[in-house]
Amino acid sequence: MKHVLLGAAALAAVATAAYAQRPAAQVIQARQANYKQMAAAVKGINDQLRGGSPDLAAIRPRAALLADRALLVLRWFPHGSGPQAGVQTRARPEIWSDRGGFERAGAGLLVAARALNRAAQSGDVAAIRAAMPALTRACSACHDDYRAPEH
Amino acid sequence: MSGARKVRIWDLPVRLVHWAIVLIVPAMWATHEYERMDLHILLGQTLLGLVLFRLIWGLIGSSTARFSGFVRGPRAVARYLAGRGGPVFGHNPLGGWSVLLMLLVLVTQVGLGLFAIDEDSLNEGPLSHLVSYETARTLAHRHETFFYILLALIAVHIGAILYYRLFKRDDLITPMVTGRRAAGEDEAAMIPAPWWRFLVAAGLAAGATLLLAQYL
Repeated sequence: MKHVLLGAAALAAVATAAYAQRPAAQVIQARQANYKQMAAAVKGINDQLRGGSPDLAAIRPRAALLADRALLVLRWFPHGSGPQAGVQTRARPEIWSDRGGFERAGAGLLVAARALNRAAQSGDVAAIRAAMPALTRACSACHDDYRAPEH
Repeated sequence: MSGARKVRIWDLPVRLVHWAIVLIVPAMWATHEYERMDLHILLGQTLLGLVLFRLIWGLIGSSTARFSGFVRGPRAVARYLAGRGGPVFGHNPLGGWSVLLMLLVLVTQVGLGLFAIDEDSLNEGPLSHLVSYETARTLAHRHETFFYILLALIAVHIGAILYYRLFKRDDLITPMVTGRRAAGEDEAAMIPAPWWRFLVAAGLAAGATLLLAQYL
């Protein structure tokens, strides 16, 4: 058992290191693709909530995607994947210089995305509707502080 | 010219729509620049209603507001440019096309905005739910670049007004404010449209805007 645990820990360490050692360009590209998928999922849910009869089958996978990705967000920012990477990125240096604040923002996203996902999987449309503002606030809270403006 | 006869040239709806657009377009730029997208979307819907109204007014409005009165063929434009067009009351043959072009550019710009979404899906055009996130993002980028076409057209518009003022000694701004300009004894005045037509045009424009913006 101990060997298995050690093995798993070693594997996790190697995996994390491997992620961190990918070329910065790849890390940034993958990060941006992930965020786009999250934004598309938010739109997909909002589109359903607009109409009178939201389709839970369309909402559930998107809420699940958001909860899954929210768990990973902090890992998408290994050292060296900021503006100094020489690749177009709006990630601000504060992500690394103010790691505590950044991690709190990430935790806020995780809480909001999990609440949304719980509501979605339970099928309670009113609860889904109620969970969305907290999620978009969590997105904005982090973007305001840790993402540079577009131009 | 102080003793000259003054006649009506632009009716009140034409002038109100004109100056409202003059105020709204910079406000739309500012609300985007300062990230007040809630106001941006609200102003966009207002602009949509105004442009729709102007298009309908171009069919049923007063004589100088109507497209049939000022949208002329290429030969009329060429004659006007050659200075052989004779006197014009209302939009001249070249200016008529610029009015039409301005309205089409505004409709296109607002139309792109209706389907656009921001990158975080926080602010969405009222029709963005009809297209995918990727399409809505593409249209949002087009919306941003198309603004420069609108800016270029505004520059030409202001340039033309200055040209008339400085080189042809013709003040175009005052008539757009007062609705009146000096005219010779033999010149005809604008034929106004009855007030109920205004209600029809305003009702159609408001209805279409609400339908597009709220219920589709």
